Amino acid sequence: SASPLMSVITIHIEGMTCNSCVQSIEGMIPQKKGVMSAQVSLTDHSGVFEYDPLLTTPEELREAIEDMGFDAFLPVTNS
Amino acid sequence: MTRHEFEVAMTCEGCSGAVSRILNKLGVETFEIDLPKKLVWIESDKDVQFLTEALKKSGKEVKYVGTK
Repeated sequence: SASPLMSVITIHIEGMTCNSCVQSIEGMIPQKKGVMSAQVSLTDHSGVFEYDPLLTTPEELREAIEDMGFDAFLPVTNS
Repeated sequence: MTRHEFEVAMTCEGCSGAVSRILNKLGVETFEIDLPKKLVWIESDKDVQFLTEALKKSGKEVKYVGTK
């Protein structure tokens, strides 16, 4: 039941080595305005984030993860 | 320059790596991390509140111990 104002982005994250890193990101990022959920995978080196595109952008999410001290990359769009 | 001691709930190299990247980005002059003891020493003229807020960006629990 996704609302129309919800987008999903997968962000590649480097530098996580344990579950505590995962939990830090899952705990911090949803505190940002416009972020609904964060699901981070240690094995995939990535996080899936649900966000409201009117309140935040993938680039802002990427920066927030960088601010926490990790390397974060947005997917390359094939357009 | 004052040497401050902080307790940061780091559990792995990823955690301590994240903390050092945050400090590097801030341009903190000198710091030292003891992962097993979960301690971070920072030599800086910036005030404790500023440094605490910066460390908290890691998403981990931060406690100021004092000057060391």
